[in-house]
Amino acid sequence: MAVKKREKDLTLLEKMYIPEIVKGLSLTMKNMFKPKFTMKYPEEKFIPPASYRGRPVLVMEENGEERCVACGLCSRVCPALAIEVQAAETEREKERYPVKFEINMLRCIFCGFCEEVCPEEAIVMSKDYELAFSHREDAIYGKDKLLTPVIQLKDRIEFLRSYK
Amino acid sequence: MPKFVLDGKEIEFKPGQTIIQAAKDHGITIPHFCWHESLSVAGNCRVCLVEIEKMPKLAIACSTTAAEGMVVYTASEKALGARNAVMEFLLINHPLDCPICDEAGECKLQDYAYSHSAGESRFVEEKNHKDKRVPLGPYVMFDGDRCISCSRCIRFCDEIAKDNELTFVKRGDRVTITTFPGEELDNPYSLNVTDICPVGALTNRDFRFRARVWDMSANKTICTGCSRGCNIELWVRNNEILRITPRQNEEVNTFWMCDHGRINTFKFVNAEDRVDGPHIRKEGKLVKVEWNEALTQAASKLKKFAKNEIAFIGSAFATLEDNYLLVKFAHSLGVKNIDFIRHYIPSFADNILRREDMTPNSLGAEAVGVKPSQGGLNIDGIINGIKEKKIKAVYLIDDDIAAAFPELEEELAKLDLLIVNATNINKSASVADIVFPAATYAEKNGTFVNFQGRVQRLKPAVATVEDDRALDGLEMSRLDKFGTKFDRWAQGHKYDAKSSWKILSALSIEMGFKLKFNMAEDVFSEIAKNTKAFSGLDYDVIGELGAQSKLQPEEKIITT
Amino acid sequence: MNIWMILLFSLVKIFIIVNVMLITVSYLVYFERRVSAWAQNRLGPNRVGWEGVLQPFADVLKLLLKEDIVPDAANKPIHTLAPIIALFVAFTTYAVIPFGPSISIFGYTVPLVVADINIGILYVLALTSLGVYAITLAGWSSGSKYSLFGGIRSSAQMISYEISMGFSVGGVLLLAGSLRPEAIVEAQQGWMWNAILQPIGFITFLVSAFAETNRLPFDLPEAEPELVGGYHTEYSSMKFAGFFLAEYANMIVASAMIVTLYLGGWRFPYLENFGLSAGWFAIISVITFFVKVAALLFFFIWVRWSLPRFRYDQLMNLGWKVMFPLSLLNIIWVAALIMIFKI
Ligand code: SF4
Ligand code: SF4
Ligand code: SF4
Ligand code: SF4
Repeated sequence: MAVKKREKDLTLLEKMYIPEIVKGLSLTMKNMFKPKFTMKYPEEKFIPPASYRGRPVLVMEENGEERCVACGLCSRVCPALAIEVQAAETEREKERYPVKFEINMLRCIFCGFCEEVCPEEAIVMSKDYELAFSHREDAIYGKDKLLTPVIQLKDRIEFLRSYK
Repeated sequence: MPKFVLDGKEIEFKPGQTIIQAAKDHGITIPHFCWHESLSVAGNCRVCLVEIEKMPKLAIACSTTAAEGMVVYTASEKALGARNAVMEFLLINHPLDCPICDEAGECKLQDYAYSHSAGESRFVEEKNHKDKRVPLGPYVMFDGDRCISCSRCIRFCDEIAKDNELTFVKRGDRVTITTFPGEELDNPYSLNVTDICPVGALTNRDFRFRARVWDMSANKTICTGCSRGCNIELWVRNNEILRITPRQNEEVNTFWMCDHGRINTFKFVNAEDRVDGPHIRKEGKLVKVEWNEALTQAASKLKKFAKNEIAFIGSAFATLEDNYLLVKFAHSLGVKNIDFIRHYIPSFADNILRREDMTPNSLGAEAVGVKPSQGGLNIDGIINGIKEKKIKAVYLIDDDIAAAFPELEEELAKLDLLIVNATNINKSASVADIVFPAATYAEKNGTFVNFQGRVQRLKPAVATVEDDRALDGLEMSRLDKFGTKFDRWAQGHKYDAKSSWKILSALSIEMGFKLKFNMAEDVFSEIAKNTKAFSGLDYDVIGELGAQSKLQPEEKIITT
Repeated sequence: MNIWMILLFSLVKIFIIVNVMLITVSYLVYFERRVSAWAQNRLGPNRVGWEGVLQPFADVLKLLLKEDIVPDAANKPIHTLAPIIALFVAFTTYAVIPFGPSISIFGYTVPLVVADINIGILYVLALTSLGVYAITLAGWSSGSKYSLFGGIRSSAQMISYEISMGFSVGGVLLLAGSLRPEAIVEAQQGWMWNAILQPIGFITFLVSAFAETNRLPFDLPEAEPELVGGYHTEYSSMKFAGFFLAEYANMIVASAMIVTLYLGGWRFPYLENFGLSAGWFAIISVITFFVKVAALLFFFIWVRWSLPRFRYDQLMNLGWKVMFPLSLLNIIWVAALIMIFKI
């Protein structure tokens, strides 16, 4: 067996470990007085940066209409099959709109693929991370819960544009 | 046979064949928009440009006839460059509104934009705008922006439907499609233009925006609209049929089907009035009961009648297997009064596809013996018998006698016993004593014999309570594969219904004579064994495109 | 002082000591969690009560409500006995440690130690060795290989370190000339703390104490990555709590021992020169004792969250090849001191 040579032998002082132990102890001691990272959550809320991927929401224009044209691409790309879209015809200029748009929040894995694929910039990831349900049915978000005014999503939309 | 070289491969061709056709016969597809096998050559899309040795310019494969010793390159640098250029031109004014377009997913322009284009547009100017959302007829919607002016639709109307309705108007980049003044696109085959339109310019108004193609499964089966028995695909999502498209069968319907078949033959499958589970009349009302109860009651009631008081009515809407079991059932009871109702509408017929016999299987029903035995009554005799109260019990499968003979409705209600196997609550079912839920043609295995004597297979597309899409071999869409019972989009209603032969088989066990079969296939093997006309056939031989039986064909198919 | 009064005072002292121990132990757990959190820039438990001060009670309640699972393969009586031994040993050891000077109440002179016996140090050494049984038995009776390994490692480790511990104590005994804890405290007047007089002995004792209490960096018996918890893998509910409490009680005992043997016990340097009344003298002495113990406890915790665990062979090497010779050296050093300075 080849004998592995150390790069250098430890000196006596190093062998005693004592300086290293003191170093270690002083490091932890220093840290005890540093400011803490922990956030006292329900009282103090974490406001995520624009790059954060919270639950996906639908963009609602100022006139109260959704941007979504129910193309179904988000539904197709969704790796977790969380999205169900049912299209229908409308009189608006874009002939197509979603009569039903449901995201199953129990299935969603917050990957953001839906946002990435959407040709209309109609579905974006919000900053909402508070998702708890007491019933399976409650986890299925329909248009009523998904539609969010575009103003509230300005951050994210700008972020997305800067990376296009 | 003469030969030419295509991409370094020697290929045989029939004299006079074009390059594109010869290539297709050998399984090589040269990109094309305007060319269609059964339409005349227009040569206006220019996507099929190929390079031919010793020719100074590129040539279009769809109108250049192949010649001995020709050397053709479909993917040389020059050919590809030209194709890219053509694609770029086509896309200049194309709106690229795939998110809204129904064709997305089965659009040739989309496909070629992936395979044959730079992926980016150099066109920064304002695109041309044309009329959108123009209804050309009762079933077809036109979007001018998306049209690439291939003229397939015009040629289809002129050459196949033989009804000149569509034309180009204007010139240059303003050219668009319209109907002739005072005309509508309303020929009986109008919806075929939505199939052949390579883009989403022509769409089916009945199906518009209902589903994405990739969310549906396509189930190969047979149209039940008339005795032509066009080969079709049923497109199903969440256990619901959403549209029908024709599939190619040179012997039966080539590429086409009629609008009646496409629009009117599937909606009853998921209709509100489907019979869901067996029903028995109790105190004047039809009440849902368990299978056992319905079967015992039907058996005990049937047993009370003398042989000549009972009549069995088969159906030309039912499969060979259903009718065969009915015949066997009747014969086991010694009943001789057995026949089926004919549905002829001479005005429906034309000399393209449509036939006056509006049922898919009358030839088959007769062939397996749905006809009176010696001394028995035929359908007219049975009707008289009902009126004269000589016939006291009637068993009817998969048809609506009360609708076919409206004068009979009251008499039927007064019958001592009327058992029907019905798919929907129709007029007969609503006066029946016992209603068994029959599976529709979209829910069962079985065979039809069309007017040519061709045996064709039905395959289930919609699952009933006893089916499981995966285990019973139904086509699966992506949603079917991955859905769980907690997903709403996988919860499409399954009806508690069975093929008529299964119902009859179960009833026979109740009655004491056992007509036991496991699968429709077993029933068919017995038919093939006992009936000369079908000897040598089985489900594998029939396959997806059907097989000719030895029944006399009435006439030859008119192909175009 | 008649026998009844002695009994009464002893019972009162036992009562106070046991309760103080119990509460300190539970708060020690809380304290450990907070300190570890601080060392890692976290906050630690701060939800139950103000800043989490009620956390220990919540923990105890939780442990009480847990299901008591005994493995099928376990030897049930011994499995049950082991945590009892552990607790018993941890609590009784404290009996001989003085936590203040003698005080007079109602005319009686009461020493602030439960049992002022003249072989106190032997008693402590004997009892702590008994503690090995708790762990070994727990490991053996659980019927699980991980527990068994934990138990065996623990006994080997304890036996090894007990030797250097004993020899280090030897130095202290030489100086004090008595096995009585009280006498040892007495011997450390002013700054004549043993820690200063015989630093080598102090260090070897300290290291051995870490090893004896199975604290990091010597917590091999319960090394989670390899042994899934070691000897208490198969324990749950209050039996597990027994071991858990015993570990912390041992820490307290070890700290108290170190204070008594090396850090002048309850003595505040030169306090007797301040001319305080007897009452104040006693109070300040007791506070001094507890502050010293608390500082050591903090040291225990601090070390745990700073140093990584030893490998088993390193542990044995350290025990036999370093600690043992060093403690011998210490005895020679002390002997030399006595010879030279004729103390
Ligand atoms: S991808 Fe965008 S436009 Fe398409 S359905 Fe989803 S949200 Fe609507
Ligand atoms: S974030 Fe990902 S998992 Fe969630 S809905 Fe969008 S695509 Fe589906
Ligand atoms: S409507 Fe469709 S089939 Fe007709 S010319 Fe335009 S692209 Fe071709
Ligand atoms: S021609 Fe007959 S078989 Fe063909 S689609 Fe029309 S109705 Fe159906």
